[in-house]
Order: sequence, then structure tokens, then C-alpha cells
Amino acid sequence: MNAIEVNGLRKEFKAYSSRSGLSGAFRDLFTRNYKIVPAVNDISFNVKQGEMVGYIGENGAGKSTTIKMLTGILTPTTGGIIVNGMNPHKERERFVQTIGVVFGQRSQLWWDIAVQESFRLLKKVYKVSDAHYNEHMDHVIKTLDIEPLLDKPVRKLSLGQRMRCELAAALIHNPPLLFLDEPTIGLDVLVKLKIREFLKEINEKYNTTILLTTHDLTDIEALCERVIMLDEGNIIYDGALKSLKEKWGEGKEISFEFLEKADLQHLEALTNDLEAKWELDEKDQIFTAVTGDDEEAVSQIIARTVAAYKVRDVKINEPSTEEIIRNIYEKGMA
Amino acid sequence: MFYVRMFFQYVAQYMKTRLEYRADLVVELFSDLLFQAVNLIFILVVFDHTEFLNGWSRDEIIFIYGFFLVPFALFSSFFNIWDFNERYIVKGEMDRILTRPIHSLFQVILERMELESLFGAVTGLAVMFYAGSRLNLEFNWYDPLLFVVLVLGGVLVYAGIFVMIACISFWADARTSIMPMMYNIGNYGRYPVDIYNKAIRFVLTWILPFAFVGVYPAAYFLGREEWYGYSYMTPVIGIVFFTLSVFIWNEGVKRYRGAGN
Repeated sequence: MNAIEVNGLRKEFKAYSSRSGLSGAFRDLFTRNYKIVPAVNDISFNVKQGEMVGYIGENGAGKSTTIKMLTGILTPTTGGIIVNGMNPHKERERFVQTIGVVFGQRSQLWWDIAVQESFRLLKKVYKVSDAHYNEHMDHVIKTLDIEPLLDKPVRKLSLGQRMRCELAAALIHNPPLLFLDEPTIGLDVLVKLKIREFLKEINEKYNTTILLTTHDLTDIEALCERVIMLDEGNIIYDGALKSLKEKWGEGKEISFEFLEKADLQHLEALTNDLEAKWELDEKDQIFTAVTGDDEEAVSQIIARTVAAYKVRDVKINEPSTEEIIRNIYEKGMA
Repeated sequence: MFYVRMFFQYVAQYMKTRLEYRADLVVELFSDLLFQAVNLIFILVVFDHTEFLNGWSRDEIIFIYGFFLVPFALFSSFFNIWDFNERYIVKGEMDRILTRPIHSLFQVILERMELESLFGAVTGLAVMFYAGSRLNLEFNWYDPLLFVVLVLGGVLVYAGIFVMIACISFWADARTSIMPMMYNIGNYGRYPVDIYNKAIRFVLTWILPFAFVGVYPAAYFLGREEWYGYSYMTPVIGIVFFTLSVFIWNEGVKRYRGAGN
């Protein structure tokens, strides 16, 4: 079963531009110039129940707009959305009962009252029975380790503490689908790890579908098998994170630091029958060979270089997901 | 039923928030009471100098003023939405509202209620009793019931107008200064409408029907039979305007653009 079905989804915004100068301002009074800007440009994708999907893209790529349409906050300009078998905007009040939402930059909790009071009110809002609440939330509270925070007002919590409470609040009605918009923004490593672990756990336990946007790609690497990548309102990649790496990862880099003086041309000559491109970092005298994914070539380069020069240090680097994605955005998909 | 239950849940939550700041609460209660007392004295002093106004006696005018304060207090307590544009549209709080399974307008109202304003109703009742006793008004057994209906009608009129104004934010991005202007116009409903010229009277009756919050319903209790038609129409106008405003709100929500992160 598909938790999310998106078909030809499009959202346009009118962007007004003002003319310059005073006379321009006068003209703006009567006829305003505007452009229709598509924030999301006819995208289509499906998400299966129980999948964890990373939704990534640069600022302004249309991530938030998509999430807001999927959660029923915004009305699409054209296109079809079926989430949990409903049209989010048309049946908003019934629909939101089946989703949980965490916006990293916006609090769901009441600022002035204790966390448990917020939970209690949300429990009423979502019509959760005592039995369900106790069984489910006891576990959530324990796993997120927020027991000691429950009687504190939200305004006294640190960002990491608050985020954990936000996550718990979004799960009070145990929704089958969870939207997380930048849930780890500004959090320290330990809190991040805890949140990731927790998300994995509820995904396994309840088969919860999770759609996650983040700028921190390590989140995606830790959680998601699948990524959807957005650029200027278009989906430019939709598939497994692994094959993204295989397809766009540009081989390996081997860096050498030598004890004696080395010569770039000589190194190039040594490996001229292999796929290797040498670069020299003049400042640190680090010689780097860029090669493909062929393991034989890697070991050959190392073997020949080490035989020719005395080596202080050798490093083999694989490009990180972040670098791959930066590459894709810089060079385009083609 | 769910909505009634949620209403009381939010009221309870509101009380708790207030009790969190105990010192504030005491100061606020005190200043509210003081404000209402000053208000009361002020009304009596101001109207002391008017004798007759277009056929209305001083006490009648005071009575209308007192009546007006009751629906106005209820309105201010529960429809405290004058900063809707800034708080919910510009800051994007509307996003959060829209992810919860309760009607969005109802949520905004619940979140923004300001129960201290209810003290104004006490002042209003005091003013009415003062003026009423001097006028030797006679009351029927069903008058208190009618009072409740007319007050609610007045609240709906006020609420309808201000919800519609709040809805402008869904269409226009810029902040508008219509809200404070409207509060001023609302004050015209406190005085007998026949002291104004015809055009203003028409506006206050049919376009921005503030007259239905003060003078029209109050005329019923003053036994001014020539106005009874308008008095009875108060709940109708209230329901029409409020229904219209909810309709516009629902349309507006569809146009909500959200705030960028």
C-alpha cells in the first residue's frame, strides 16, 4: 500500500516585483508587476507504507512547499495528492488525525506550560484514549529520555530537550505517517544520534512511514534507504541512496605524503597505464591520485608509489554523500 | 460535543498558564478591576453633562452604553484576533494550526482568548442596573433570556466583522491598519444611531452593523417600541454576519501561502 501518492503536483506563487524610484512606486500602485514562479514543478512520486525517505535539496528547492502540500497546509495549484488514502487539503481535519508533523523551526508545544500539560491537551485534541496513551507514550517518553523534562515549562528547555519533546508530541496519536522538516537542525551529535535511533525504532515497531527533510546528510545516511532530490522544483533523483553513490561517486582518492622529495611527472609516468590522475597540493606537499572504483588499480597505484618513494602517510578517501550531492548541484545532472 | 469539550480544555489550560505567573495574575486582576472602576466613573461623569440627545435621556444613553459593554467584553475575551496577521500569517503560526484536527478558526480563537476582558461585562451590568433603576424599567420574566440572546447576537456581529477583517490577511500580504480603525467605528454603536446622519446610520445598520451591538438591542429593554423590529433582528444579523465570515475564512485558508522558513 502506498502511504503517499503524488501525481503531477505543482504549486505556483505570484512573486511581485517593484519598479525602481518614486515614479515606479506610483505605477506599482495601479499595476503591479508579477511573475508566476513555480515552487514545485509537476512532480510525481509514491512512498510505500513503512518506507523512510529522505527529501533533500538546497534552500528554495521546494522541499518545504511540498511538505506543506502533503500535510494539507497549502493547496496545490494543480496535480493530485493522496496521502493515507485522503486528499490532505479537502479533508484536512480528518486527514491530520493520521499524520504527525515536526517542523524543526517551529514549536508545536505551548510555551508557558509544562511539557506534560501540552501532551495532555494534544491527547484530547487527537482524541487518544487513556489506555492507548499510556501504553504508547510511556515507551516514547522512556526512549527519548524526556521523563525528567515533563514538569518543566517549554520555555525553560534547551533546544535539544525541546526537540525530543516535539518529537514525542508529534507521536501522541501514534500516526502511521510522520513528516519531519529539519528535525535535527542545530542539535548536538548526541541528541542527533538519540533521535535517529528512536526514529529507526518506531519505524520497525509500528511500520511508520517517515518523510524527512534535512540539510544534514548524515541523518539521511543513517536512516533512509531512498532519497528524493529536488532542484528548482523538479525531482532530479529518486532512488536508493546507495546507487546515488555508485553513480555519482567519482572513485577514490589516494593521498601520499613522502619523506623525500617527489616529482609529479615521475609519479604520472609510474602509473601511466592505470586510470589515475595526479594532483599536487603545493602547500603541504601532498600528492593525490584520483582513480576510479577499480580496486586493482588502487592497490597497483599504492604498490608502485611505495616502491618508488619512502612514504610518511597514505590515506584513501571515498567521496562523502555531501560531496556527491554538492557535485550534482554544481555540475547538474547531465 | 467535541468542540465544547475542547473549549473547556483550553480554558483550563489558559487558567493554568495564568497561574504559572502568580504575581502577574494578581497585578493584572488588580489593574483590570481598577480600569473597570475608572471606566465606570468616567462614563457617569461624561454623561453627566448631556441631558437629552435627540429624544434620548441621559439615563437611556447610559443604559445603552452599559448594554454595549457586555457583548463587547465577550467579544474581546474570545475574539482577540486583532494581531492575527502578524502572529499567524507573517510568523507562520498558521502552519501549526492547520496540522491539528480542529477547525482552524476555532483553534485561533481558543489560543488567543483573554478571559480577563470578561470583567468588562461586570462593569456593563453595573452601568445597566444603575441606569435601569433610575429609569424604573420594568422587566418580564423572559427578559433575562432575551438579554442572553441579544448579547450573543451582538457578539456574533462583532465577531463576524472582525473575522472578515482578519481574513484580508489571506489575500493581501501587507499589514493593514484596518483593525484599529474598525475598533473606532465599533464605538459608534454605543450611541443612539438616530443622532447620526442617514448615510452613517445605513452603514452602521447594514454594512458594518455595529448598531446591533448597542443601541438596537438595548432599545428593547428601554421599551422603545419604534426600534423593536431592529432589536429582534439582532440575532439574525449576528448569525448572518458570522456565518458569512466563517465562509470567507474557509475560502481564505485555501489561499493561505504559508511563511517561508
